[in-house]
Amino acid sequence: MANMTGELQRSRRRSVAVMLSCVALSLVCVVYPFYVIWPFRAQGARELAIALVVMQFRSAATLISVAAALAALVFYWRAQPRRWRRAFATAGAAFVCVLAALARVNIYELMFHPDDRPSFAAASGMKLDKDEKVIAVKIGGAARAYPVRNISYHHVINDLLDKVAIVATY
Amino acid sequence: MWGRDVAGLRLTFHLAGINNQNFLMRDEQTGSYWQQISGKAVSGPLKGSQLPFVHSDELNFGTWQSEEPQGTVLQDAAPYRSGYALKDWDVRMQRAPTVIDFHEHGLKGRDVMLGIQAFGASRAFPYDQVIREKLVQDRVGAEPVLLVVGADGQSVRAFRDRIPGVQGAPDFYRMPANQPGTPGALLMDAATGGEWNFQGCALSGRSKGFCLEPVEAIKDYWFDWRNFNPSTTVYGKK
Repeated sequence: MANMTGELQRSRRRSVAVMLSCVALSLVCVVYPFYVIWPFRAQGARELAIALVVMQFRSAATLISVAAALAALVFYWRAQPRRWRRAFATAGAAFVCVLAALARVNIYELMFHPDDRPSFAAASGMKLDKDEKVIAVKIGGAARAYPVRNISYHHVINDLLDKVAIVATY
Repeated sequence: MWGRDVAGLRLTFHLAGINNQNFLMRDEQTGSYWQQISGKAVSGPLKGSQLPFVHSDELNFGTWQSEEPQGTVLQDAAPYRSGYALKDWDVRMQRAPTVIDFHEHGLKGRDVMLGIQAFGASRAFPYDQVIREKLVQDRVGAEPVLLVVGADGQSVRAFRDRIPGVQGAPDFYRMPANQPGTPGALLMDAATGGEWNFQGCALSGRSKGFCLEPVEAIKDYWFDWRNFNPSTTVYGKK
């Protein structure tokens, strides 16, 4: 009986440790890149490099974290009879799931409203002021202009001009 | 502006982050991150790769339209039109704070520069000064370059100052507005007496038909240019 109680306690402790590790790992995956790449602060080269590596691997890392948190939850439920503690552990696992979902979203990719389907019109038909600034490119015989007031909003336009794939940036 | 074909892949980019107010792009195909100003992959599977450079100019629409009447223009994306910048966006941005600054040459972080990175060197030209001078003959590294302000008084193009068959860097001078000449002529060169237009092409003289090699001059804020070009020199400053 004493051995069984001891085994249940060890199982609870292991489950809690795994759960807390999962929460911590998932939080780092979501919060650290967001903090480092925040536009209104200076980025150091080293912290930026780390943040980009975290962003690179955080989808996989948070998925593993979800699996580990759910496994820990199952073991915890088996070893813990008290309902409120079970509920607390369930909330922890749910939090890890939410963080895993957030890790799949790059807030900056949404914030700047990409123009995924750019359309173009003949220069002769455009009603732009003569002094409006444009970024101009010519490839082969094809010429294209990107109005600054437009591209300074979207910042990135993936384009194809005279069969050459280009990206206009501003 | 950059090409999108790298390492046998056609990449599609998204704005994915900021590095000291110069943005980072992520490509869909590999998840690598690319610095906008340099076109270089800074993280991910393609780290160290370089996007192919594509020459572009920042011009007034009227000037571009007169040169390229058959050209096409990016249209507004209707859902976002109300969020687009006003025409004086660059002036308004000069009041925006910067997160880094370089107190050098008496320049302020948001001073607009024309940055040239070519011939193994970086050199920045204060935009207002170029506009005032209308024609700048200078060197980037060991190479002579020419910065020319268009007839609209705002558009600027840069060229390598070399003409075949002419020793050294030929002197150019700006044609007075009231001087009769070939339509579109903006400059004359002292070596051949030929007239040149804003596209850098000779309209008359023995070089007629030859076009100067264009050099990319990026319009950028001083803090951004200096951050990514730490060894830059500045025109008119010691």
